[in-house]
Amino acid sequence: MSDPTLILRVRNLTARIATRKEEIHAVRGISFDIAAGEAVGFVGESGCGKSVTARAIMRLAPEGTSIALGGSVDFMGQDLLQLDEKAMRDLRGRRIAMVFQDPMTSLNPVMTIGSQIDDIVRRHTELRGRAIRQRTVELLNLVGIPNPERRADNHPHQFSGGMRQRVLIAIAISCDPDLLIADEPTTALDVTVQAQILRLLMRLREERGMSLMLITHDFGVVAGMVERVNVMYRGEIVESGSVERVFAEPAHEYTRALLHAVPRLDTAGRVL
Amino acid sequence: MSTVRAMVDTAGSQNPPADKRQRLTNGQLLLGLGIAMLAVLIIVTVFAPLIAPFDPSKTSPNSLAGPSAQHWLGTDSIGRDVLSRLIVGGRTTLLITAVAVFLALAAGLVLGLLSGYLGGMVDEIIMRVLDVVFAFPVFLLAIAVVAALGPTVPNLILTIAIVYTPAMARVVRGPVLSVKEWDHVEAARSVGVSELRLVLRHVLPMVISPIVVATSLTLSHTIFTVTALSFLGLGPPPPDPNWGGMLSEARQFMELAPLTVVGPATAIVFATLTFIVLANGLREVLDVGSWR
Amino acid sequence: MIRVVLTRFAWTLVILLGVSFVAFMLMRALPGDFAIAAAGSQSVSPEVLDAIRRDLGLDRPLLEQYFLWLGHALTGDLGRSFVTKQPVLSELPARFVVTFQLTLIAAIIAMTMGIATGLASARMRGRTDWFVRIYNGLILAVPNFVVATLIVLLAGLYFPQLSIFNYTPFLSDPIANLGSLLLPAFSLALAVSVTISENTRAAVLEISSQDFVMVARAKGLLPRTVLRNYLVRNALTPIITVTGLQVASLLGGSILVETIFAIPGMGQYLFDSINSRDYPVIQAIVVLAASVVILVNMLVDIAYARVDARVKA
Repeated sequence: MSDPTLILRVRNLTARIATRKEEIHAVRGISFDIAAGEAVGFVGESGCGKSVTARAIMRLAPEGTSIALGGSVDFMGQDLLQLDEKAMRDLRGRRIAMVFQDPMTSLNPVMTIGSQIDDIVRRHTELRGRAIRQRTVELLNLVGIPNPERRADNHPHQFSGGMRQRVLIAIAISCDPDLLIADEPTTALDVTVQAQILRLLMRLREERGMSLMLITHDFGVVAGMVERVNVMYRGEIVESGSVERVFAEPAHEYTRALLHAVPRLDTAGRVL
Repeated sequence: MSTVRAMVDTAGSQNPPADKRQRLTNGQLLLGLGIAMLAVLIIVTVFAPLIAPFDPSKTSPNSLAGPSAQHWLGTDSIGRDVLSRLIVGGRTTLLITAVAVFLALAAGLVLGLLSGYLGGMVDEIIMRVLDVVFAFPVFLLAIAVVAALGPTVPNLILTIAIVYTPAMARVVRGPVLSVKEWDHVEAARSVGVSELRLVLRHVLPMVISPIVVATSLTLSHTIFTVTALSFLGLGPPPPDPNWGGMLSEARQFMELAPLTVVGPATAIVFATLTFIVLANGLREVLDVGSWR
Repeated sequence: MIRVVLTRFAWTLVILLGVSFVAFMLMRALPGDFAIAAAGSQSVSPEVLDAIRRDLGLDRPLLEQYFLWLGHALTGDLGRSFVTKQPVLSELPARFVVTFQLTLIAAIIAMTMGIATGLASARMRGRTDWFVRIYNGLILAVPNFVVATLIVLLAGLYFPQLSIFNYTPFLSDPIANLGSLLLPAFSLALAVSVTISENTRAAVLEISSQDFVMVARAKGLLPRTVLRNYLVRNALTPIITVTGLQVASLLGGSILVETIFAIPGMGQYLFDSINSRDYPVIQAIVVLAASVVILVNMLVDIAYARVDARVKA
């Protein structure tokens, strides 16, 4: 990689999803960079290919589908699309981690919260035995779960949506990843909780110097969270630039439409 | 820049994309096979006396004989032709099955439609009573009833019909509940179409598919119940042959004449399989979700 | 939760009462005179018949007879066998234990086979899936008494040295006992394993598409960890429920299989009683077996509701 400060360099990425019924050309040759410690937003309406982009980087397809990928995803000097599945598995959760949209369905209902963090710690670190649980409790504390020792033994149904998303964030940051992909992390949450989760993500990114790829349909979410933003439409990046620039003078008419659809945070505050 | 094609991990299960036409053909194939098998059963049942080479009750001194040009499947312990008994016995077994399921279907249809369409107290009462019957272990109930009332053909039919009615009613009621909220049903009601007409013209056609599939599955279960009861000696009384009874009789001499066992066993499996294949084919083609 | 349990419990009582009432009425609806049936022969003097009627309470109103009979049944008096004239309860427990053993072994075999094939079918898909589903469809069409008969036939033809009719009581030789129950249990288990297999497949497929499985894969967990902790542990609830609901089929099938393999269990007892028209025994076995099925179904329901509450709350 030419630029050592770049953590992710995606070139001409294409993704075609094949389900039992049809084949969708979901991502049509996009290119973008994410620098070390940088937060980049991906904005677009649902179905524009932003989530598929995230899955493509993680090389994860939903059950029953397969995704054919093209182009290159250069992550810290290695092309992820060329890695074998075993190498990819070693990388997932350790170097690149992901937070998903719906915290209500993203935790295994029959395992305790603690053991769902334990298993990723055991998988990717040298820690063994009691040290694993220690680390788990630390992580729960870090994401703001009160009484972490006790709560670690609870099952997901004993947590609220916001608390579950905190647990999922704890899972994602458990192995100090270089890149955190957050795919609509606040969409399923109450408005009041949304702000808390975003603040938590911000704080963790700053403390740990992670890069953040924040995917959302909501321009209100990226404002104040990221430095740069890519606007996606129909599988392509139609506009990219600094948040201030895109907000102030959107170049693409689709961006303008999106901005128009979302109430500005300052005016929205007054309405509430 | 090189373009690579990376297959994405799907936790080990990579099923190749199958286009929809392919899937439809599978269902149709299954349905076609089922219909063909059903046709064989029906033809043999209807024309049994014509097809059977011998009188199924005629004994001969030539007992437990192996297969020959005359007796394709050999003879049983008192020298009756196994093939003829199999053909005529199928008539008894399948007629009991068909009539019983038809009665269960009719009763289930009426109860299910009433229950689902009228709702409220009627629904509550019908479903509770059916729940009690439904909770009875089918086979045990059938044994008790037939043992008490005597193993005659009408008793067998009635017992099996009663035993399977609740399941049928449930299958009908579910779709009716959802169908009656549909727009065109609502619209018809608002225009003042009579309730009975509504049920017959609009609701019934919508619930046909699940009922057809359920009927087919129930037929396969009923063949089990009928043949199993006969096997236990609770079938139609001798000397008229039936598959379950033949299997039971043949057991005593099976080391001497294995074919007397294989014949009825194959027949029972074939008939059961027919309705399973038919049910699966219908389910695929009519696009009905699985039911229990 | 307590309300769910209580409601389900009350409902079970209603069904049990219904079962007992039907069983009672059926035996009173026997063609001919119950007293003659009880006497065991037609040529009995009217005085003897009257004595029998009084003894069995047949001279009282029907409903009173039912409650009398129910009271007796609940206190362990299930009447006397017409044939042996012994109390039904003197023979039944030993028979029940044998049947319990047989169905338990069959349930274990069915679960092992069903879960294995269902998992293979759901995880490997493609050709394995295709094969398992065709196999399941075929096996489903073979009733347990046909399987049992064919096993006996094949064993007699090809392994005559194998004495498959040699039932050994558990207490005299546990190993031989298990050995003698293995083939019968297998024939009983085969069809049940198909139901478990199909349900396992459906459950695993449904769970595979859940978000938490995606999260588990995004953690980089090994496939076997995902399979064990995320797929199987979640699929286990529906699988155990389905198995529980198959008790009816196992008990019903044991009547046939015990008869074929000459196992002195409840099923064979029922078969013998049907042949000798020993109605009190038939009645007792039907009520007992039905009660077991109904109680197991209740337990399964309650257990499922508990798990469901934990998952969905």
